[in-house]
Amino acid sequence: MLRRRRFLTSTTGGIGTLALASILRDEGLLAQERDPTNPLAPLPSHFAPKAKACICIYLEGAPSQIDLFDPKPKLRELHGQPLPDSMTQNVRFAFIQKATAKILGSPRRFAKHGRCGMDLSDFLPHLGTCADDICWIRSMHSDAFNHHPGQLLMNCGSTMFGRPSMGSWLAYGLGSEARNLPAYVVLTAGRGTSGGTSNWSSGFLPTTYSGVLFRNQGEPVLHLNNPAGLSDGMQERTISALNRLNGLRREETADPEIDSRIASYELAFRMQSAAPSLLDVSDETKRTLDEYGIDRDEPEIQAHRGGGRGQFRKFALNCLLARRMIERGVRFVSLFHASWDHHSNLNAELQHNCLMADQPVAALLKDLKRRGLLDSTLVLWMSEFGRTPLGENRGGNPNATGRDHHPFAFTLWMAGGGVKPGHIHGETDDIGWGVTRDPVSVNDLHATILHQFGIDHRRLTFRFQGRDFRLTDVAGQVQQALIR
Amino acid sequence: MTYANTARWVESKGKDRYRRGMYTWFQRTSPHPLMTTFDAADGIVCTVKRDRSNTPLGALMLLNDPAFVECAQALAKRILAEAPKTTSERVDWLMRTCVGRLSSPAERMAILGLHGEMLVLAKAKPEETAKLTNGISAADARTEAAAWVGIARLMLNLDEFMVRE
Repeated sequence: MLRRRRFLTSTTGGIGTLALASILRDEGLLAQERDPTNPLAPLPSHFAPKAKACICIYLEGAPSQIDLFDPKPKLRELHGQPLPDSMTQNVRFAFIQKATAKILGSPRRFAKHGRCGMDLSDFLPHLGTCADDICWIRSMHSDAFNHHPGQLLMNCGSTMFGRPSMGSWLAYGLGSEARNLPAYVVLTAGRGTSGGTSNWSSGFLPTTYSGVLFRNQGEPVLHLNNPAGLSDGMQERTISALNRLNGLRREETADPEIDSRIASYELAFRMQSAAPSLLDVSDETKRTLDEYGIDRDEPEIQAHRGGGRGQFRKFALNCLLARRMIERGVRFVSLFHASWDHHSNLNAELQHNCLMADQPVAALLKDLKRRGLLDSTLVLWMSEFGRTPLGENRGGNPNATGRDHHPFAFTLWMAGGGVKPGHIHGETDDIGWGVTRDPVSVNDLHATILHQFGIDHRRLTFRFQGRDFRLTDVAGQVQQALIR
Repeated sequence: MTYANTARWVESKGKDRYRRGMYTWFQRTSPHPLMTTFDAADGIVCTVKRDRSNTPLGALMLLNDPAFVECAQALAKRILAEAPKTTSERVDWLMRTCVGRLSSPAERMAILGLHGEMLVLAKAKPEETAKLTNGISAADARTEAAAWVGIARLMLNLDEFMVRE
C-alpha cells in the first residue's frame, strides 16, 4: 500500500488522486508497478521484442557521408563551381560564407560491396565485408545544424536540454538483465564530445537510468577493492545498514532520488566482484584480440581532431568491451568517439579516424554474429548530421579542405536486432544536398529503434511538469521498410 | 575523463593531503577522477547546466577511495577521543556531529546492529583489523576502533549527510 502511494506521489508530480490513477491504469501505465528497491528489475515489453540490447557507436562531429557512404560523381564534375543562389538563400550554415562557397568533389574511390551492392569508399574496407549484415540509411535528416543540439536530438530526441537519452528510456522501460553491472554503460575515446554528459543523461527520469561513464584512461572503474583491512563481510554489512538507514530517510522525505542512491550502493557492491572479470580481456583468444585490432600499430598522423595518439587501442578495446557487456546482460552500451568534425584537412583526418574505427567495428559485427548475439543486439552507427557538398570556406579561404555541417541529408546504419540486413534505404539527389526518396527523421529512427525492443514509442512515457513525455516527443513513425 | 594524457593524479603527501577538494588543480583536459565521477562538466564547451548522476561509480568512490576512508578513520579517532564512553552516547554524538539531530529508534537499531557485527568481524581477523585502524588506536583497543571506523564510514555515506535538502 505504501509502495503504491509512493509510486503515485513520485511519478505524477505529487497529485496522486484516484481519478488520475484510474486514467493511468486505463492506459496501461500502471500495469507494471515498479519495485522502488530494485528499479532496474527486468520489465516486460509492449509486444515481442527482436532486440534485447543495443550498442550505439556514436561518431561525434559528423563523418562525411559524401566521402564514405553516398558517392556523388556529379560533385567531381561540378568541383569548384558555386551553387545557384536559389539553393542556399534560406539555408543557415555554421561557417560557410555563401557568396564564395564552391562545390567540393570527393577524391575517394568507391566500390560496391556484398550482394546488396552498397557503395563504400576506400576508407572502409573492413566494413565492406559486413555490407550484407547492415541496413544502410542514406536518407536521414535532422533539424539541428550545430553539434550540441544535434547530439541532443540524436541521443535524447529533442534539441532541448533535460530530456532522457535513448539508453535511459530503454533502461527505464525494460530494466536490465545484468544484475551485477549497470544497465547502461558509456565508453569513450578521443576528445570529449560537445554534448558531454547530456548525451547519456537520464534527464527527468530517476538518475538510476543514466549512462554510467567508465574511464578511458588507466582502470576503467576505480575503487573496486575494499579499503585495506575491510573484509567483504564488513562491506556487505555496511551497505546493508546504509541502505536500511537511507530507506528510513526515503520514507520520511519521499525523495525518490534516495531509491537511486540505495540502488547505486547495492550495484556498487555487486560490481566489486563482477566488474574485474568484465574488464580483464586476458581470457579472449589472440585471434579475437587481433581481429578487433587491440594491439595494432597506430600510424603516424597528420590529423588532430581524433584525440591524438592512443585512440586506436582505446576504440578497439571499447568495441570488445561492448560485446563482453552485452554477453553479461547490459541493456545499452554507448561508444563515443570524438571528433569527426572535419571542417578542414578532411582527407587526412577522415582517413585516420576510419583507420581507427573500420576494423574494430567490423570485428564487433562479425564477433556478435558468430556468437549468435547479432540477432538480439541492435548495433547503431550514428552521428548528429552529415557534411556539406560545398567546401568550407571559413574566412573566405578559397582552398577549402573540409566540409561544413549538413543536416538535410546524411547516412547512418543499423545492424542486427531484427533490422533488414543488406538493405539500402533512401536516396539523395545528384549532389547529396537533399533527400529524394524515403526520408527518415530522427523521431522516425527512434520510433523504429524502440519498436525493435518491443516498445510502442507512443506508450513509453513519463509524466514531468504536467505532461507525458516520450523519446519521440509528438512525432515519429516506425519505419517498416527498415525492419524484418 | 582525460583525453590529453596531460595529468597523472597522484596521492598528495603531507599538509596538501588535507586541503579541501575545491583547491584541487583543475586540469581542463584531464580533470581529477573525483570531479568526473561527480558530474563536473568536462570543459570542452560551455555548460549551461550540470547534469547530476547517482551512479555505482560514485558509491564505489565514497566507500573505497582512500581519501574518504581516511575521513572515516579521522572521524573514528574523534569518537574515541572526544565522544562520551558508552556506545549509545557515542551514537548520539555521531548523529549530532554528522546530521545535526538524534536518531530514531529504528535508525539507532540499524547503527548498533552494524556496530555489533563490525566487532565480531574485526575480532575474527586481528591482523586485517590492524590495517583498518592503523594510527588511531592502541593494539589492545583495535577491535573497538575498527567498529567505530565502520560506523563513521556508514555516517559519511548517508544520503542525508551528502545531500542538502
